[in-house]
Amino acid sequence: MPNVATLKVLIVDDQNSVRQMTRMTLEQIGVRHIHEAENGNKAIDTASLQPLDLIISDYNMPEMDGLGLLRAVRGHPAARRVPFILVTGRGDRELVVKAAQAGANNYVVKPFTADILRQKIEQVIGKLS
Amino acid sequence: MSSLDQLKQTFFEECSEALLQIESGLADIREGGGSDDTINAVFRSVHSVKGGAGIFGFEDLVRFAHVFETVLDAMRSGKMSASQDSVDLLLTANDVLTDLIAMSQTGDAIPADYGSECRAAMEHLLGQDGAAENDGDEPAPADFEGLDFVPVRVDDVDAAPEGGGARSYRIVFRPGPELLKKANEPLFVLRELRALGKLVLVAEADNLPPLSDIEPDRPYIGWTGTLTTAADRAQIEDVFKFVADDCELEIVEEEAEQVPALPVEQDLAPPAEQTESATEPTPLPAATAPSITPPEPAAAQQPAANAEPATAARPAPTKAVATTMRVEVDKIDRVVNLVGELVIAQAMLGQVVFTLPEDVSGRLTQVIEEVSHHTRELKDSVMSMRAQPIGAVFQRMPRLVRELAAKTGKKVRLELHGETTEVDRSIIERLGDPLTHIIRNSIDHGIETPETRAAAGKNEEGTVRLSAEHRGGRIVVEVVDDGGGIDPERVLKKARDRGLVGPDAVLSEDEINNLIFAPGFSTAETVSDISGRGVGMDVVRRNIQDVGGRINVRSERGRGMTLQLALPLTLAVMDGMVIKVREQTYVVPMSAIVECLRPGEADIHNLMGARGMLQLRGTLVPVVHLCDLLGVGADAASTEERIVIIADAGDGSSFGIIVDELLGHQQVVVKSMEESYGAVPGVGGATILGNGRVALILDVEKLSDLAVNQASPLAASRITSTEPATTE
Repeated sequence: MPNVATLKVLIVDDQNSVRQMTRMTLEQIGVRHIHEAENGNKAIDTASLQPLDLIISDYNMPEMDGLGLLRAVRGHPAARRVPFILVTGRGDRELVVKAAQAGANNYVVKPFTADILRQKIEQVIGKLS
Repeated sequence: MSSLDQLKQTFFEECSEALLQIESGLADIREGGGSDDTINAVFRSVHSVKGGAGIFGFEDLVRFAHVFETVLDAMRSGKMSASQDSVDLLLTANDVLTDLIAMSQTGDAIPADYGSECRAAMEHLLGQDGAAENDGDEPAPADFEGLDFVPVRVDDVDAAPEGGGARSYRIVFRPGPELLKKANEPLFVLRELRALGKLVLVAEADNLPPLSDIEPDRPYIGWTGTLTTAADRAQIEDVFKFVADDCELEIVEEEAEQVPALPVEQDLAPPAEQTESATEPTPLPAATAPSITPPEPAAAQQPAANAEPATAARPAPTKAVATTMRVEVDKIDRVVNLVGELVIAQAMLGQVVFTLPEDVSGRLTQVIEEVSHHTRELKDSVMSMRAQPIGAVFQRMPRLVRELAAKTGKKVRLELHGETTEVDRSIIERLGDPLTHIIRNSIDHGIETPETRAAAGKNEEGTVRLSAEHRGGRIVVEVVDDGGGIDPERVLKKARDRGLVGPDAVLSEDEINNLIFAPGFSTAETVSDISGRGVGMDVVRRNIQDVGGRINVRSERGRGMTLQLALPLTLAVMDGMVIKVREQTYVVPMSAIVECLRPGEADIHNLMGARGMLQLRGTLVPVVHLCDLLGVGADAASTEERIVIIADAGDGSSFGIIVDELLGHQQVVVKSMEESYGAVPGVGGATILGNGRVALILDVEKLSDLAVNQASPLAASRITSTEPATTE
């Protein structure tokens, strides 16, 4: 059972306000080790610097979008096994299917509550303690 | 402010950036210049607004942004064409969005049907093009049926360090005698080490002395063992960061016991097009995963080729640091104020040192010079923090021009130059309205109708050129149009009708042109709803003067006119020349000074009053006697001792100011006097000098005007009163 207090999560979003909100939501769940990245390239840098337990990435970002990041993560030797949750803003089934095919472990639709996020995380890595 | 409020604030800041992006993107598209990237960027911006609004609970904003975004989505996927009409509708939508954001920010109640017209029009557009997919109504389903998301098993996560990229290190850790005394605790170190991976340790108790000999603050136990971890060497060393100097430490990487579960070769395999389960991701081609570096020589001895991320990732930490951060303007302003105080304090210090005997002051002076060098750099850095590209103001203009052109039935093209020129924030904030007004005037009064232009042999499409550049310590913003220019006869007639000019006064063309800045002047035959009711140009001039700028007009009949704004780089601190006239001390802004010289008596030809002419390298330069001009006493000093400051009069010409003494060059903090005393012609503000006294900062350009005006009877009467003193 993964311990929520030791979970290392990376939030990727180009909007600072959204990153901070996601951080607050994660903190509500009990996550203490939170990294942030404002774009895909920085996310890759962060992911190659330390072991992560989860990446929560927005889809809609300039330059490298969430799918691009997902593909890059899955092709990265150090980060390829890190669970990946894609955040989408729209009810876009096509996108979610694409994400699933590219190796996303789950998705969550913005805006989300702490309960929903926790549920999604637990679906991916198991019940949190 | 609660943290949530702060986040909302951040969100609204992001919104204003997004709005600018939407606006300029749509403008590009409308001009036919937008690429796929442009529409994508616009879409992303609207989408970001919507996403944030959803998170912060601004439902009205979400609803509107959703329709907006759906139209954009249809457009970018090619389901809908980007016709001029539809882009115009989107521009309107951007206005509504701007309003909704503003209302959300202020917390004003949003009228229920606000923007519904625009929204309905967009929905109509979607319906008619058959592009509507989601019947407009969010929110998206939280779960899609039938999607096979295979959650990663928890074992996989836990096992990850052991599988992909796990390495074994042999660790020897023997605390030295000083370790405990320095308040370090070996157990904490071990606990941290264990957090990195699987740790097996054996304690070495060989050195443990008999109980009677034990010193309590001396560690006797050491540990050896193996750490299996995905962490790299640097991370392990990091654990020992505080104790490394006080212990015996060995970290030796051992050959991995097993071949990594996912060899690198497999990663480099060409991408397979198949749909795999989520846990077995599709590998990327090597080109898109640049961090897969060719194995280094060391890897030959170590089968775990990807056990070298430490080398591969080493340069990364610098990249991971955020390159920008948001700071409240208030905080920067506080620093600016402090720098101002520092400048004053430093001037005082200089003054004190100056009074000391030379043997004491020599070294001190050196130090103070160094301090002043740093202060200047500090000032420049802080000012650059406040600086913003002027593009923020320029960006509003294309829209304005389009609207005005449509309203007046004229064809106008707007050219922008120098958008990246950086200007102090406080000036940017106050530049928007004057510029808007000037451009309105240009289009309303300057640019002719296409018919008139064609008849005059001009291109039917008029051009308005808006540019900004740094020039001689100032920012020069120009609005140039190729319209009809100023009609001097009409302007003069109007001015006479309004009693601004006497019926018999003879004015030069330049003077006539400048009448447009006279209060209450309006040349429009009928008051239009565009340029307003003649509150125009005089207000514009006052606005520009309020920020320490000046405005000039040049006009060529039938060819167009140019309005030039010269703005100071900053308002708070500036370089000044401290001068003395009689017993008074003044400061002349360095940016206005061209040169200082001590002319021979024969070179100065006195005219009436405070004016004169100076023979300077073959040309005649008008000069003013500052003492006469300011009425601080007669000019008693002999001509040889007087100093002439050649200053830039603002319109490209120069003129001289005769002063008694130059006291020195220093940075001064500009304190506004207008709030307390109103605008005083010739005085731009005040400052505190090193000796703690207040000195007035002269407004050089106005001084030149003042000198000219003294030729008028009113000013001449004042000069007559000082004349007896002059003849002494």
